[in-house]
Amino acid sequence: MIQLFHVSKSFDGTSALTDITLKVEKGEFLFITGPSGAGKSTLLRIIFGSEAPTDGQIIIEGRNYFKIPPKEITHLRRRTGFVFQDFKLIPDRSVFENVALSLKVAGVNPREVKSRVLKMLSYVKLQHRANFKPPVLSGGEQQRVAIARALVKDPAIILADEPTGNLDPALSIETMELFKEVNNRGTTVIIASHDKNLIDRYGRRTVCLDAGRLAS
Amino acid sequence: MSMKASNMMYVLSDALRSIRANLITTIFTSLTLGFSLAIFALFLFVFINANAAIKSFGDRTRIIAYVKDNQAVDPEVLRKELLKIPGVGSAEYVSKDRALKELKDELKGHESILEGVDANPLPASFEIKLSDSFRDPSLISSAAQRLKALNWVEDIQWNREWVEKFSAFLRFIELAALIIGVFLGAATIFIISNTIRLTVYARKDEIEIMRLVGASTLFVKVPFFMEGALQGFLGGVLALLMLWAGQYLLLSNVPAYFRFVADVPFPAYVVFGFLVAAGVVMGVAGSLISMGKFLKV
Repeated sequence: MIQLFHVSKSFDGTSALTDITLKVEKGEFLFITGPSGAGKSTLLRIIFGSEAPTDGQIIIEGRNYFKIPPKEITHLRRRTGFVFQDFKLIPDRSVFENVALSLKVAGVNPREVKSRVLKMLSYVKLQHRANFKPPVLSGGEQQRVAIARALVKDPAIILADEPTGNLDPALSIETMELFKEVNNRGTTVIIASHDKNLIDRYGRRTVCLDAGRLAS
Repeated sequence: MSMKASNMMYVLSDALRSIRANLITTIFTSLTLGFSLAIFALFLFVFINANAAIKSFGDRTRIIAYVKDNQAVDPEVLRKELLKIPGVGSAEYVSKDRALKELKDELKGHESILEGVDANPLPASFEIKLSDSFRDPSLISSAAQRLKALNWVEDIQWNREWVEKFSAFLRFIELAALIIGVFLGAATIFIISNTIRLTVYARKDEIEIMRLVGASTLFVKVPFFMEGALQGFLGGVLALLMLWAGQYLLLSNVPAYFRFVADVPFPAYVVFGFLVAAGVVMGVAGSLISMGKFLKV
């Protein structure tokens, strides 16, 4: 489903990723771990197409994405849900509107948008917050809005960058259960996390990055 | 670029939502645009009016051609001959009798000076005004030469020194206006583009997030395009209202002989079209150019 061949990325001459070769099967649940600054976020962003690799090849669903044309990026993003470390919610729009945005941009009809968003909000237990604006929500609630926005479009791939970083242990487990459920329905899930306990708890395939290199 | 109907509807409803949400910013940006455009237009009008007024003083540069005495030829024939000379706009015949009468009028109360003058000593003459394109001293001079060369012309009279000074003054005014105009125009464009840039910058996160959840660039651009056009339109209309208000104040407070300053040198629809078009073009171009780099996410 996702294949990276000798992918490298450097920013202004400083190497962030070096020679990454990685294969993720369809429906797989993969952890990317490693210390802060190891390149986990950069790797996710490259798979998401918001960062272009300096070198190497990327194949997603059989298409080579080394240099993704802007139109393809838009389509790739509609099939990929990304849960950002800093949530990236639009502060002056309600929870409902934030989640609905990822369906609206794809042109889903309004009635379907409404029913899917409400269903997704109750799935992440936020139906009572639908009309609130993100800044008044707790960190955990904002995190779940971000997850709802990523999941509502039934993506083929979910990428999550430290999705439990702001959550207490109980909420972390609840959040991970959400990803597990989505994965059980066939979605490929890739999670970057440095939380060793959490990763051990799930016993899934884990790749370790260290200073931009795969350390297995 | 094909777009589903529901997608188009979202784009438009999102644009309307965005305009509502950013109403205060839109109003302030429109005001900035309005003031900037009004100041620039005001400068342009005052300059054009003042320039026209100054040029009308220039009409007093005229050449008087004195006709040799005892001309048997009909003055109308001579006048037609004058009009054939390049640069001659109009020529008015002043007969000997009329010249004497005018002199007597001027000397009213001192008629005794003319006592003892039996024959009319004054020559007949033509008062010649040059056409508008003949304002340059060297052109006036060449026309004067041709007039003087006519065999029935005794002498000519024109104020060379005054014409040269006046023409230099006119050049100075035009150059000063050009410099001020360029500065003012640049300042207008800079203020407007900077204002728009800041409003777009304030929403750069929103632009980035829209792109990250899979919005096409068109989807992101349309609200900004519409807002830019709306701001520009409102700015143009505001500028127009300000100019009207300014004209009203001037006309009601300025002495009559100075009212030409408040004249609008163009038809109203041209002014309206110019202001609104300038506003919309700057609003739309400013928005789209400013957001360009935020779209590359």
